[in-house]
Amino acid sequence: MESLALHEAVKKFVEERISKYPTKRSLLVPTLLLAQEYHGGYISPELVKSIAKYLEVPEQEVHSTASFYSLLNKHKVGRHTIMACHNVSCYLRGGDSLIKKLEEKLGIKVGQTTPDGRFTLISVECIAACGGAPAMIIDKDYFENMTEEKLDEVLAKFT
Amino acid sequence: MAEKLKEVKVTTALCEIPVAHRIDVYEAHGGYLALKKAIKEMKPDEVIEEVKRSGLRGKGGAGFPAGLKWSFVPKDYVGPKYLACNADEGEPGTFKDRYLIEKNPHQVIEGCIIASYAVGISHCYIYTRGEFYLGKERMEEAIEDAYRKGYLGENILGSGYSLDMVVHTGAGSYECGEETALLTSLEGDRGHPKMKPPFPATHGAWGKPTVINNVETLATVPPIIKEGADWHTSLGTDKSPGIKIVSVSGHVERPGNYEVEYGVPTSSIINDLAGGVWKGRKLKCFIPGGSSTPALPAEKVDIPYDYESLASAGSMLGSGALIVFDETTDIVRVAEIITRFYALESCGKCTPCREGTRWMLQIYERILNGAGRMEDLDLLLDICGGVEFKSFCPFGDATVGIVRSTINLFRDEYEDYIKNHKVYEREFIPVRHGVNGRSG
Ligand SMILES: Cc1cc2nc3c(=O)[nH]c(=O)nc-3n(C[C@H](O)[C@H](O)[C@H](O)COP(=O)(O)O)c2cc1C
Ligand code: SF4
Ligand code: FES
Repeated sequence: MESLALHEAVKKFVEERISKYPTKRSLLVPTLLLAQEYHGGYISPELVKSIAKYLEVPEQEVHSTASFYSLLNKHKVGRHTIMACHNVSCYLRGGDSLIKKLEEKLGIKVGQTTPDGRFTLISVECIAACGGAPAMIIDKDYFENMTEEKLDEVLAKFT
Repeated sequence: MAEKLKEVKVTTALCEIPVAHRIDVYEAHGGYLALKKAIKEMKPDEVIEEVKRSGLRGKGGAGFPAGLKWSFVPKDYVGPKYLACNADEGEPGTFKDRYLIEKNPHQVIEGCIIASYAVGISHCYIYTRGEFYLGKERMEEAIEDAYRKGYLGENILGSGYSLDMVVHTGAGSYECGEETALLTSLEGDRGHPKMKPPFPATHGAWGKPTVINNVETLATVPPIIKEGADWHTSLGTDKSPGIKIVSVSGHVERPGNYEVEYGVPTSSIINDLAGGVWKGRKLKCFIPGGSSTPALPAEKVDIPYDYESLASAGSMLGSGALIVFDETTDIVRVAEIITRFYALESCGKCTPCREGTRWMLQIYERILNGAGRMEDLDLLLDICGGVEFKSFCPFGDATVGIVRSTINLFRDEYEDYIKNHKVYEREFIPVRHGVNGRSG
């Protein structure tokens, strides 16, 4: 398997920060999170290889670290990822119904991607928005105090 | 009628100004005066002494005295020392640190600089939860501005003291909020905790002396330096001096962050600040300090909100996340949700926690599917005994609080599920083994 050419933005991210750390490896977790944005939305074996080379960390250890973190996708995802909170404070204020509505609107189940590749829907643990429950994140944006009525408007922002 | 409880806004005072994250606005409200005072008028030891005298306790969960923690770092150590500001906020029910870094980032940064100056730290990492994209952006902009103003970098304010600061993001893991797991993650590994002792104060990040403090703890440092330790001890109780942000969520009219003196009645936080139990319903029970703290029954709602009182009632203040449940709550389902959280977030390093949480989750699923057995309740309690105090890190202990307290308080509701083969109608099935799931 070939490694791939790391995106310039990823290299710049590392170069700008490396002087603040005693080892290159320290930047592994934030670099993986950024890199998947520029390389197809998930941590592919090719990406693991390139990052391993770039940060001088053994490939298996990059894989080991990457497989631990829930924001690092193991497989291809849709253009937008909906992360709806299923934890306690959201549950108490209608979080489960919101997730059910999302499933209905998108015609998929939690864990699936719409056939047009637009959305991947997952349910996640508390996202520190319990004061605005039920809450969800789409890509990088929080949506709080969600209602069924607001869903169409919110989803329309993501094409 | 007693007077209504009022907030004492110390770290949240500026949060309602929409542009308080800008350095000019922060400075116009007295920002960075504490740093100037510390660096120009106080020796590092005097800063530690002042914070010790203030009685400031850590607000990330354990309530450990901050000044004392700082004093454990060896003064004569030659080489780099580190500060990790813990912005990994993942405890269900807690949403104060995200609020602070988004709305008032400079106060957090100023606190980090003062703490670093006091301990002789050369590098500060703001370990920020991966999901906090806006918070990270705000912190990065604020750090850049602080560099430009000479509050960070070489020779801060002409003092000869230098400090570097950078935001370091996580990528999705509750356990990385645990201080030694945070350090492992900072070093580029899976978020597994490290053995203590040695403690981070002597052997932390990359084996060097390291201080780890919560965002809110650090944001409280500038006001203490500015107003003095006596001001801080004049608030709260003798053993829990000062103020705390309480994140109130669940069945209340106005969920939100409310900053109050320690020791006020929990009922006043719920009723006076959060608008009371919603829809005119009755209180069933509450979790005082986040998902890791045992639930307390409605009868105890007048309990003073401080470390000692909550501990003597059989729970904990934790991270200050007060979750309110009304009389209609299905408490078995609540316990299942929290148990699932622990089962899926367990880092997997030690067997009691990794296996115990999964067994407990399986039993909860069985009960909610109408196939529970009466022995299951004792089995759950038995597993709690096998996990608590037998796990590698405090995560394990944290998993048993909700299970035990809800079985003790609401055994009849568990029995109703079991005896009547009641089935919980799920609205969706959470899938964590799909696109984002951990395989293990
Ligand atoms: C499983 C687990 C998760 C934790 N998560 C956090 C967290 O997200 N934020 C935090 O500040 N402390 C968290 N803590 C507590 C930290 O280990 C540590 O005590 C704290 O950051 C120290 O800062 P403080 O003394 O200022 O509170 C967690 C502890 C455990 C056991
Ligand atoms: S108790 Fe053990 S398995 Fe659980 S989080 Fe801590 S080290 Fe990991
Ligand atoms: S429980 Fe949903 S954001 Fe905290």
